[in-house]
Amino acid sequence: MTNDIHRHATLLKAAARAAKNITTILDPYDLLQRTVDIICDEFGFYYAGVFFLDDAKQYAVLKAGRGEAGREMINAGHRLAVGGNSMIGASIANRQGRIALDVGAEAVFFENPHLPKTRSEMALPLVVGEDVIGALTVQSTEEAAFHDEDIAALQTMADQLAIAIQNSNLHRQAERRSRLLKAANRVGKEVTSILDLEKLLPQTVNIICESYGLYYAGVFLVDEAGEYAVLRAGYGKAGKAMVADGHKLKIGTDSMIGACIAMSEARIALDVGEERVHFKNPHLPHTRSEMALPLIYGGRVLGAVTIQSSEERAFSEDDITTLTTMAEHLAVAINNAHLIEELKDAHDEILRNKVFEALTTASTEAIHWIGNKTLPISLTVSRLREEIADGKVDLESLKEDLDMISESAAQIIQVKEQLIGAVREQRPRPILFADVVQTAAHQRDISSSMLKVKIDHAAAYVIADSTQLVRAVGNILQNAAEAGAKSIKITARETEERGILEIMVDDDGSGMDRDVMEKAWSPFFTTRGVDHHGLGLPAAMHVISQAQGRIAIVSEKDKGSTVAIYLPKGIVNDEPLKAGNVKNLLLIDDNDDWANHFSELLKNTNVKLTQTTDLKKLPVADLVLVDENITAIPLADVLTAIAKAGLISKTVILTSAINPERVTQFMHDGMKDVSVKPYSAGEVSELLK
Amino acid sequence: MTTVLLVDDEKLILRSLEKTLLRAGFDVITAADCKSGSETFSQNAEVINIAVLDLNMPGFDGMPKTGAGLDLLADLKKQKDSLPVVILTAYDEVTKAKDAVSGGASAFFVKGREQGLVELIQKILQVAG
Repeated sequence: MTNDIHRHATLLKAAARAAKNITTILDPYDLLQRTVDIICDEFGFYYAGVFFLDDAKQYAVLKAGRGEAGREMINAGHRLAVGGNSMIGASIANRQGRIALDVGAEAVFFENPHLPKTRSEMALPLVVGEDVIGALTVQSTEEAAFHDEDIAALQTMADQLAIAIQNSNLHRQAERRSRLLKAANRVGKEVTSILDLEKLLPQTVNIICESYGLYYAGVFLVDEAGEYAVLRAGYGKAGKAMVADGHKLKIGTDSMIGACIAMSEARIALDVGEERVHFKNPHLPHTRSEMALPLIYGGRVLGAVTIQSSEERAFSEDDITTLTTMAEHLAVAINNAHLIEELKDAHDEILRNKVFEALTTASTEAIHWIGNKTLPISLTVSRLREEIADGKVDLESLKEDLDMISESAAQIIQVKEQLIGAVREQRPRPILFADVVQTAAHQRDISSSMLKVKIDHAAAYVIADSTQLVRAVGNILQNAAEAGAKSIKITARETEERGILEIMVDDDGSGMDRDVMEKAWSPFFTTRGVDHHGLGLPAAMHVISQAQGRIAIVSEKDKGSTVAIYLPKGIVNDEPLKAGNVKNLLLIDDNDDWANHFSELLKNTNVKLTQTTDLKKLPVADLVLVDENITAIPLADVLTAIAKAGLISKTVILTSAINPERVTQFMHDGMKDVSVKPYSAGEVSELLK
Repeated sequence: MTTVLLVDDEKLILRSLEKTLLRAGFDVITAADCKSGSETFSQNAEVINIAVLDLNMPGFDGMPKTGAGLDLLADLKKQKDSLPVVILTAYDEVTKAKDAVSGGASAFFVKGREQGLVELIQKILQVAG
């Protein structure tokens, strides 16, 4: 008797400890397996297992079992019929605990080959409120291990377990709902920001499958004829294979997708094996649940999303709600992408027409222009021939005719330079914009007193080919000067657009009216008379476009024009300068931005730099650098002085805008080299090498 | 002596054509756009026997204009309806040629066949004569 009391007390204590432990577990995946382990450990039982009722409430299905035996039975899909001749089946049917004290003699005991040592078993129903949700089995190797009064003690623990299971399920549902809402938000947020349909749809199926942990998702769009739903994106290899196969489903009732589109409503098959409308897809053999959601925008069905799970009855009400919200987001995104595609098509169409129109206009203008420039040549030659034949050649008239031929030829060559120059080999690099302006102004004879240049420190460098940019800026400055500008203001600053600089060229010249401004970018259009070719602005636009920039013009008649140029910002690396063997360096240049920058780069080196524009006494130097666009003194005087000092072979001509003809001329004159101006320490090192 | 009013904005063409016409024995008065062409004609209307006008050149407002020569044609015809006028162009344009003829031009001549121009002027003056 004392032993029985002691055993019962021990059992109660163990039951209390087990219950306490079980109720702290919230993780639904962990709860059952840990429960059977806790029970066996606390009570010293041979085996414990937890069964859940299936949805039809016909079978108790083993969900967790102690040890290897438990794992094997779960893997084997071990289940017992409710109300059958098993302890578990009977305890569920009767909602009561049962004991089999000598299991060998118990008629209702199921002879389980996985648990050969069982001699006593207790089966306890798991009850939540009015519902039996499953049962707990505990087994001992001892015969008559359980007494009737133990049932109450262990039933209390089983009740705690049932509550823990319910809590865990609620927790799981809450967690799942939260995850689904987050996923729906993510889908909504991410898909509405993608405007390219070819990117939007594959990303959407990826996001859905990854966020919801689903087996498969695919997006179908209705074809133009409205007859088929065509798969446009599918998850994983199966999806890619089906898209490649041109997988499509007829709109109607033969498939879930077809029916969903035809009826504009969601279709759900929780066990697709039994669903009449389900498409038996060999690419997706593991699908057990499928949901088809229509993609509706503005009352029009654009397509449908198929969402598939490898679990039976995978979709809850929460899933349906959140996935429907997601489908609504997706429909908006698809509609936006369609609109963008339509806009793009319309834009392309306009562009094609405009390009054709521009080409036609340009060609006509070019033919007219070239015709007018070549005509005096043929006219004059023809007249000269007649005069020679008649023996009436007047020398003055002949001289005038030759001048006309020469002038016509020069104009044609100038056009060739504008047309071909802008498409010459490009060498984009960070270049000092102030130097570009100075060279362009010098080349076009624009007085420095006319220019007001303000370049922010952060906008000192642009990325472009210096020769080309000098050409473009020169064309713009020349236009301003020819428009009668008294002042040209140039500013450069950083913009809010990352890495882009804004350069404004304002002039107070005659400006343009709207009609002229619209034609300003057309090649061969000019308001400045027949001596102008009308290629300045088109060539500038070409140069700026090639430098990944853009250009615009605003003008008002009699008030002036503003040319806005946007170019990538240049960044010069702070690398060490290598001076090579040069010790004494002579720089013949103005005291301008580039010269100051160059001098700054040489500051912490062993190179002794002498900068001068005084040609009377040139110092001895290992290397002489001459700025081709020096303004303080004529370049010809500089070259004469260098020759006189015997420094020609040590002289390198530096230029921002290199020209093959001039390079050839300088090299013929015996110069060491002709090079583009260096703007970084690396480029200076290269020059000094 | 026959006097030709020659109006073209391309100064080299103007001078070259002038020399060709002078060599052919014409007197030539030149102008570079519609406005100066009209003024030159009104100042020399008594002596000018024929006008040769470029089709595309600055119009009466000084801005380049396609078909400005037709505007000058109308202006000259208003000043002297019997004046023979030849329109010069760099293009073979049937529509413009028809416009010129319906505007009262005696001929539409495509640049590049200048010997033909001398013969054409002579022929027109002979008919008018």
